[in-house]
Amino acid sequence: MNKKIDEIKNRAEGEIKNCADLKSLEDIKIKYLGRKGELNQILRSLGDLSLEEKKVIGPKAQSLRNELDVLIENKKNEFLSKKSRNSLDVTRPGKKIKIGHLHPLTIIENEIIDIFRSMSFSIIDGGPEVETEYYNFDALNIPKNHPAREMHDTFWLQDNQKQLTHDTKQLTESQRSKVKGQKLLLRTHTSPMQIRYMETHKPPFQIVVPGRVFRYEATDASHEINFNQIECLMVGKDVNLTNFKYIIQEFFTRLFKKKLEVRLRPSYFPFVEPGLEIDIQCVKCGGKGCNICKESGWLEIMGAGMVHPNVLKAGGYDPREYQGFAFGLGCERVAMLKYNIPDIRMFYSGDLKFINQF
Amino acid sequence: MKFSFSLIKKFAPGKYSKADLVEGLNTYSFEAVDLGGDILEVPNTSIARRFSSAASHLGIAREASAIFDTEFIDPTLKNPKFDFKDKGIFKVNIKEKVLCPRYSATYVTDVKVGPSPEWLKDVLETSGLRSINNVVDIMNYVMLEIGQPLHAFDADKVKGGIIVRRAKNGEEIETIDNNKFKLSEDTLVIADEDRPLAIAGIKGGKYSEVSLKTNRLLVESANFEGVGIYKNSKKLNLRTDASIAFSHNLSPELVGLGMNRALVLLKEICGAKIYKTEDVYPKKQPKRAIKLDLPKIERIIGIKIKRSEVVSILSKLDFKVSKNLITAPAIRNDIEIIEDVAEEIVRFKNFNKLPAVSPKISLGIGAEDDSVIIRDKIRKYLCAAGYSEVYNYSFISKEKTDLAPAEVFGIKRPISLANPLSVDFAYLRNSLAPYLEKNLNDNLRFYEEVRIFEIGRVFGDTSEQKGVSKISEKPVLGIAIYAKDPPSQGSLLRKASDGQVGRAGGFLELKGIVDGLFSNLGLVDWFMPDLNLKNNLLEDNGAVRIEMGDHSVLGYIGVLKSSKNGAVLELDMERLVKAIVEEKEYEPISKFPSIDRDISMLVASDIRVGDILDIIQSVEPEHVDDVDLMDFYEDEKFGGKKSLTFRIVFQAKDKTLTDVEVDKELQKIIKVLIEKVGAELR
Repeated sequence: MNKKIDEIKNRAEGEIKNCADLKSLEDIKIKYLGRKGELNQILRSLGDLSLEEKKVIGPKAQSLRNELDVLIENKKNEFLSKKSRNSLDVTRPGKKIKIGHLHPLTIIENEIIDIFRSMSFSIIDGGPEVETEYYNFDALNIPKNHPAREMHDTFWLQDNQKQLTHDTKQLTESQRSKVKGQKLLLRTHTSPMQIRYMETHKPPFQIVVPGRVFRYEATDASHEINFNQIECLMVGKDVNLTNFKYIIQEFFTRLFKKKLEVRLRPSYFPFVEPGLEIDIQCVKCGGKGCNICKESGWLEIMGAGMVHPNVLKAGGYDPREYQGFAFGLGCERVAMLKYNIPDIRMFYSGDLKFINQF
Repeated sequence: MKFSFSLIKKFAPGKYSKADLVEGLNTYSFEAVDLGGDILEVPNTSIARRFSSAASHLGIAREASAIFDTEFIDPTLKNPKFDFKDKGIFKVNIKEKVLCPRYSATYVTDVKVGPSPEWLKDVLETSGLRSINNVVDIMNYVMLEIGQPLHAFDADKVKGGIIVRRAKNGEEIETIDNNKFKLSEDTLVIADEDRPLAIAGIKGGKYSEVSLKTNRLLVESANFEGVGIYKNSKKLNLRTDASIAFSHNLSPELVGLGMNRALVLLKEICGAKIYKTEDVYPKKQPKRAIKLDLPKIERIIGIKIKRSEVVSILSKLDFKVSKNLITAPAIRNDIEIIEDVAEEIVRFKNFNKLPAVSPKISLGIGAEDDSVIIRDKIRKYLCAAGYSEVYNYSFISKEKTDLAPAEVFGIKRPISLANPLSVDFAYLRNSLAPYLEKNLNDNLRFYEEVRIFEIGRVFGDTSEQKGVSKISEKPVLGIAIYAKDPPSQGSLLRKASDGQVGRAGGFLELKGIVDGLFSNLGLVDWFMPDLNLKNNLLEDNGAVRIEMGDHSVLGYIGVLKSSKNGAVLELDMERLVKAIVEEKEYEPISKFPSIDRDISMLVASDIRVGDILDIIQSVEPEHVDDVDLMDFYEDEKFGGKKSLTFRIVFQAKDKTLTDVEVDKELQKIIKVLIEKVGAELR
């Protein structure tokens, strides 16, 4: 009997070890440990044995039962864990989550706005796209019948007797008289917002105003009939050129996420004095010279300057008391440089193959 | 304008190369471009205000001498030796003293007209001008050298004297380039007793042109007011070097310099004999002195500057500083105020050497417009919902203004442009929908489904009365979808036939977007009745308006007529921003369980879900927390009826509802449904 137990032990252990699947493991369990299984048969036959034999065989059979139980359970777990591993191929590609994409110009505008917001600038909604001659030109010191206006190829509205509802809502009686009967146009820059903001707010302040502007010109890879600008204006008692330099250096460094040299060149814009053209070190070649910067190492990025006293006056300020700087940045230009986009017209194509890249 | 480097160097001799000069000008003066060879160019736009002193070789040389600290050789200091003591036979009569502030004329005889010397031809060629003969070339050369346009008449063709007057209406003139012009009173002419000899400040006439046979000249050096020349040049569509120069407001002080220089050269090159100059200059350009306000200059630039440094920079530029007053050279008519002086100082201090100093920033106003914040929220919401953002043109064709129900935005008539770029861009868009529809179609070549949105302005005339117009522009949110299959909305549309599915799918998704968006933005109390506005964009009976509790219309949603699976939505962002009044507020979550009841019914096909929902609401049952349409099913076997399943959720805030209570409420609802829409319970 003792031998028989040893024999069962060897056989069962072998079978469990070599068992191939859960089903045969179950069969093994029934064969040895089931109600009519081999071990039970031994235990049931204990009654025929002597007391001495009982004392040896009983515990031995019982402990084999426990041993096999553990072995079978372990084997079972082995199968189960193997099964779950087989059911997931973790190398499969992830499930596609359908989300939309913001337009690259929105992304750029947001980035620019975020930088200025962190420097305590207020973000002002764009102002009217249909403007009067007064706000687009006269108030900005761009005289009528002067070649300086030719830098602004303008779309004009058909009927010049029309009233701009924005003005009847927003402007005071005296302000309205400035624009009465004036020809309407599509603004050629966001600078009219300098005047509109000054008319209704007291200095000191610093603002950025994003908005769409228009130019009457043939379109090509670098010219569009509508595009987006961000106007920046800071006015106070002694806001000066060194402050301007600080703000733009900080701004471009954060925008392009690297320390960029900024170059200031004297230039002429009627609404600033002194007037400046701002270049940044080429973002592609870092100043060595490449096709993007036409081998110069520099990229023209925007016009800027100290607000002209006539503009401050038009805004209702005393230029002897207040001064400030202003600049206008083209969003398309920045986006094209940052993302290496070759053609400005792609922004207005509505092509999702383009937009979904951002 | 194009310049000859070697000529500049003649006036400002020094050890600098052309590349040095180009770089120096860009750093200290204005934009300059190296065009190769002897040529460099300064764009007119960058010297638009100081044309009088910069659009000339002498002007550039003046900058060069200041940049490189070289000698400045001024050829205008040499006066001509007059051969006669009188002014000859001519008189000058300026009839229009505002349009012509100064006119000088010199009678010149014994002129040998012929080819120009090589050096003269070279300068002209470098600057892009053609050599004609020595007399004409000298006139052009002096303009290039000093900046004063000149003209020479054949004196034998001038009868009596010079009259500067307005043209008579219909008066004709043939210019030296053989073009004929019919003039009007707006145009200023240089005339003699008989006829106009030149269009003042723009172009000379054929009749009195200098030819090889010419022996006696009348040389003109004059100043014309900029606006007049600018307008006339535009009107006649005639742009010349002279008209461009005068349009930029030249100083009348250039007149004398130009005349003297021309006379010196005429004597030198053509062996001419000269009479005294007749110079009519009734109102001299006032001398302008600007107070040397050093603190203001420092305040603009932001650094301390020594007075001596200011004086040193200004004197290099030929300014005079005496005690506390600054006087700019007469031809620097761009220097008017202290800011102009500050620019002269700071540019020669070099902008790039300025320190960068953090400004003192005022807090307090640091605010953000609500519209900016809400625009941002909407964009984020739509992106997360799977919609991509597009930007479209603000311009549109006339036909396309006729599509959308722009009346939703109060727009009665579209607005057209006076100078459109093309027929396709002749109007301002009165709706975002036409371009969104185009975007859908364009993208469908590459995508199974398209979900897009745009935020932009629309424009229109909002006046009720025709004839009285009110131009209005509104920020609008437009969303468009094309979805072939129903979006995953459970069993909502599971068995219906294909075409219907797509339509309803896109449309219903947009309705769902509005629900989600509005609740996300904190907007309450809106409903969606039928659109009932004539338009050519949307399916008849396939559109709703989005209306607020106060009946103001925010926008619309509709199924596109053109593409059966497409739908579009537009929302007036201005009204939307105004309508958002309520902040979200936490509502206590009920501790008691809710009880759901599903009711399935058959109703006639023409009964709308919205009506049934309204009826359920109108019963005002107690404890109804929510009603949802769970299943919608149309089948022929129902014989013109459709099957609807609603789930009604019952909930009390203060107790656990019993089945008995709920069933009592449900019976009330069912009774009304049977009465009002003839519902058959299934």
